[in-house]
Amino acid sequence: MAEMHQRSPLSNARLGILVLLGAETMLFSGLIGTFLVFRVGNVTWPPPSHIGIELPRAVTGINTVLLLLSGYTMFQARRAIQKDQLKQLRNWLLLTGGLGLLFLGVQGSEWIQLIRNGLTLQSGVYGGIFYVLIGCHAVHVLSAVIWLFIVFGMAMAGRFSAEGYVGIDTCTIYWIFVVALWPILYVLVYLF
Amino acid sequence: MLQWLPENVSTFGQSVDSLFYAIYYLTLVVFILVMGTLIVFLIKYRHQEGKRAHYIEGSTTVEIVWTAATTVIVFGLAMLSYPQWNNIKSPTQFPENPDVVVQVSGKQFNWDMTYPGPDNEFGTDDDLELENELHVPINAVVHIRLTSVDVIHSFFVPQLRLKQDSLPNRFINVWFEATKAGRYEIPCAELCGFGHSGMLGYLNVHTQENYNAWVQERWPQ
Amino acid sequence: MHDNEHASHHHEESFIRKYIFSLDHKMIGKQFLIYGLIMFFVGGGLALLFRWQLAYPERPLPIIGASQQYMDEGEVVTGADRMWENIYESEKEEWLEVNMPNGVVEPAFYNMLFTMHATIMVFFVVVPILVGTFGNFLIPLMIGTRDMAFPILNMLSFWLAVLAAIIMAIGFFVPGGHAAAGWTGYAPLSADPQWTGVEWGQNLWAISLLIQGFSSLVGSINYITTIINMRAPGMTFFRLPLVIWSLFIVAILLLLAFPVLSSALALLIFDRLAGTTFFSATAEGGGDPLLWQHLFWFFGHPEVYILILPGMGIASELIAVFSRKPIFGYRSMVYAMIAIAFLGWIVWGHHMFQSGMRPGLGSVFMTTTMLIAVPSAIKTFNWLGTMFRGSIKFTTPMLHGIAFVSMFVIGGLSGIYMANTPVDIFIHDTYYIVAHIHYVVFGGSLFAIFGGIVFWFPKMYGRYMNDVLSKIHFWLTFVAFNCTFFPMHILGVGGHMRRISNPMQYEFLQGFEGMNIFITMSAFTLGFAQLILVFNFFWSIYRGKVAEQNPWQVTTLEWEAPTPVPHGNFGQIPTVYRGPYEYSVPGEENDWIPQAQPEHAPATSGD
Ligand code: HEA
Ligand code: HEA
Ligand code: CUA
Ligand SMILES: [Cu+2]
Repeated sequence: MAEMHQRSPLSNARLGILVLLGAETMLFSGLIGTFLVFRVGNVTWPPPSHIGIELPRAVTGINTVLLLLSGYTMFQARRAIQKDQLKQLRNWLLLTGGLGLLFLGVQGSEWIQLIRNGLTLQSGVYGGIFYVLIGCHAVHVLSAVIWLFIVFGMAMAGRFSAEGYVGIDTCTIYWIFVVALWPILYVLVYLF
Repeated sequence: MLQWLPENVSTFGQSVDSLFYAIYYLTLVVFILVMGTLIVFLIKYRHQEGKRAHYIEGSTTVEIVWTAATTVIVFGLAMLSYPQWNNIKSPTQFPENPDVVVQVSGKQFNWDMTYPGPDNEFGTDDDLELENELHVPINAVVHIRLTSVDVIHSFFVPQLRLKQDSLPNRFINVWFEATKAGRYEIPCAELCGFGHSGMLGYLNVHTQENYNAWVQERWPQ
Repeated sequence: MHDNEHASHHHEESFIRKYIFSLDHKMIGKQFLIYGLIMFFVGGGLALLFRWQLAYPERPLPIIGASQQYMDEGEVVTGADRMWENIYESEKEEWLEVNMPNGVVEPAFYNMLFTMHATIMVFFVVVPILVGTFGNFLIPLMIGTRDMAFPILNMLSFWLAVLAAIIMAIGFFVPGGHAAAGWTGYAPLSADPQWTGVEWGQNLWAISLLIQGFSSLVGSINYITTIINMRAPGMTFFRLPLVIWSLFIVAILLLLAFPVLSSALALLIFDRLAGTTFFSATAEGGGDPLLWQHLFWFFGHPEVYILILPGMGIASELIAVFSRKPIFGYRSMVYAMIAIAFLGWIVWGHHMFQSGMRPGLGSVFMTTTMLIAVPSAIKTFNWLGTMFRGSIKFTTPMLHGIAFVSMFVIGGLSGIYMANTPVDIFIHDTYYIVAHIHYVVFGGSLFAIFGGIVFWFPKMYGRYMNDVLSKIHFWLTFVAFNCTFFPMHILGVGGHMRRISNPMQYEFLQGFEGMNIFITMSAFTLGFAQLILVFNFFWSIYRGKVAEQNPWQVTTLEWEAPTPVPHGNFGQIPTVYRGPYEYSVPGEENDWIPQAQPEHAPATSGD
């Protein structure tokens, strides 16, 4: 790897992840665009057939705060490894992962509640786009959590140090993306 | 090439055709210039022993000239087209007080024509439904309410220079005024399933007397 | 420096590591090439099948049809027929019986044929070859590095593409047949099996394209990272060859465009399998009938520029090299490509002028679409400027390059007709569009591909392609191509709709029978010409004339590497001292100065 390349401020892995986020953004743009087509195209939203089904705004609001918090803890984890504090790193990672799982858990219980109330994937475009868009984000959170636990395992094995922590950086970048995306979805889907 | 165009029988068809001709001559000139230059260059600057290429990296002036020229041409063309397009497709620009209003509905694989009848209202008892046959008088403004019951179809009458997709659950209005009596085909121009090829209706443009007779026959009063 | 660091680990690799699960960018590039060529024959073969139906509607196909009839009538049992009898036994018989009873292409099967023709040609031929082959092979070599940034992802990209192709092929043999809603897969037609009778075919189509999307995603991350991070010392962005610029821009387009299609495909799969109604307006609480078109074309138009930009890059290389001149206006070529890529995002509505979209939007999209003529004009005139006062050598790659320019101009100019909203009313969904498609993707992309193959073949395989065969292939292709696709403009002007299996059902198309037959004959000739290419390709890999390191006397870095290019590409990473097109510099002995040649060094001899 000692090749003479042009000095680049970003390593390949970090750059690669950033590039990937471009694609992720477009994937969500497609879905958000679809949501907006339905949202703007319908005079009443939710459509008349769904009046009475309330999305859990408050609980999700709290959940949003939880997820934002996990963004902060992830950031702290990165700070820790930069200072070579391995113990703090593990704690922060664990906390982050826990918050992520908590977020998913709350989301899951909300879904169960909604399905009981009669909002399903098949109930018109309202239910359809709700589950697909929010579900797509949930899948991303899930993969971020899995990734995080892999990184946690590597941290336990002592694979990171202040000199080398690419694995943590890439995971942080992805985590922050998933976290930052959520408030947008929350505002659009739950409040707008 | 344009002599292959089917005969035009609608009032706005002329504007489509003249734009077609304008672009035809424009692109023909561009094409001949580009190809001519290319061929001249290929012959004149072919590799010859002892002759070297000239080292030319470019020329900002020339670049600006051809960028500007192309921009002007395409904007000019766009300007010419806005009014024609609006005249044909913008519902606000349609001639008012149509003489005939028909609803045309695509369905796999037929065109259903619905006449509102003398009360001029759809959904009443005196509506008339015809399969694949559309009857209109000559020199009269016809409004068509296009819709579909299943997938997307496209209402196409080559001689009218009219084409419009018909969408399920939506109504799209188009208009025309035919200038020549006759029987014209209405193919479906949007892929709509295995019967798309052969989905075919007919537009019958009658002289005024014949049309009146036709109306008389359907709705005797 | 790090001399021979790589040459030392010259360990033998097993066959599987070397040829199948290879991590080497050159091998992956070659794999994509073979893959693309195979798929080209599949896609082209499908085209010939439906071309026959168009020329001779309801008449049995030769060979397939004839044997079938013999079977039915119990006539002449020949060896060939006995062969068919065996196939008769297997389920293949049923398959033929369903899709081509008595050897006649069924209307439903016709729809599958052109759907798969286009899907395969676009997603499994042109993109894999232009981006997969040339991207993989050229990027590390031309920017001067040892391999891609992520070799494992690179391998993954190829094998995902293979998986996608296999899934796509399976679609032909599932009950209900393959996807039949056009390569554009317009919903609601594609969203519900009740409209087409196609069950799993359409699902597999969507799943296959999703996988192909992953493959492109992985590939483009690789390309972007490699080009940004791994250029050789001195290789600034404005010293990159244009083909690398084009691949860089295309990687960005692929990265951003494909996920939009993926989202649409995911929604489509939900509609088909999970009972949602995003695209079907007829259902209760139903969706929007135009939604699919917006999503598809928002991806689709950038996609067509993905199909042409690398071709433009390749043509730029060919024209500069064989005119022995610098590219005229190098920087404006780069800016023009960026402009095309950028404008490509705001013109998608030009596919939907007649779709029922608001007419006001039509005018907006007409304007943006026409604007694309401006950067295209810059490119075209710069190519001409490059030939101006050059010293043009008519090698086979150059012939392809010239063909690219002239065919792209025809295709581009026909785009102007369609961009014009009133004219598009008439020519939308007619053969005028089909003519346009093929002038840009065959006349454009494929000629560039052919030219690129012949040009870089010596670097890929260490041998020349046979020049006589290449020339025959070029001329036959060029003539047959124009005979096939030029008359389609006339069909379009006559109002001949596309996607119809039997034009003779329409009175106003009766006059076109002869022209359709002529087109079909030319198409078969065109297909035949491609056999020459493939024969030449494989023959030359083993028997071609051995090529020296830099046979065309090119300045760019890939020709600095030894032939055949070893693992790791360069003994020592070259340093770049100048731009990529230093041809015929006055006062120099040679008419080319390699990018890696130090300043003021005595010029070395050319051969
Ligand atoms: C490689 C692929 C490729 C490329 C490069 C292009 C390039 C262009 N295309 Fe094309 N297009 C397709 C592939 C491509 N297209 C396909 C596959 C479809 C059909 C999809 C389907 O429905 O199945 C399609 C359909 C399509 C439509 C929809 C038609 C319809 O369905 O009704 C339109 C409409 O505007 C259009 C326009 C254009 C324009 C304006 C350009 C421009 O980029 C062209 C610009 C180039 C030039 C103009 C020539 C060079 C310039 C000069 C010599 C300068 C002088 C010129 C002037 C002064 C005018 N294309
Ligand atoms: C990327 C590009 C690409 C390429 C390279 C081609 C190549 C060809 N195309 Fe294609 N075509 C499209 C992209 C392409 N096409 C698209 C996007 C559409 C729109 C589809 C839609 O409407 O959804 C289309 C539609 C289309 C139609 C319109 C169908 C319709 O609307 O009903 C036609 C009709 O002639 C056609 C013909 C051909 C022919 C003859 C070739 C030839 O160049 C092929 C050359 C032939 C070969 C390479 C075959 C070689 C093989 C052999 C010799 C073996 C013989 C085997 C057997 C006979 C089984 N194409
Ligand atoms: Cu109806 Cu095509
Ligand atoms: Cu387009």
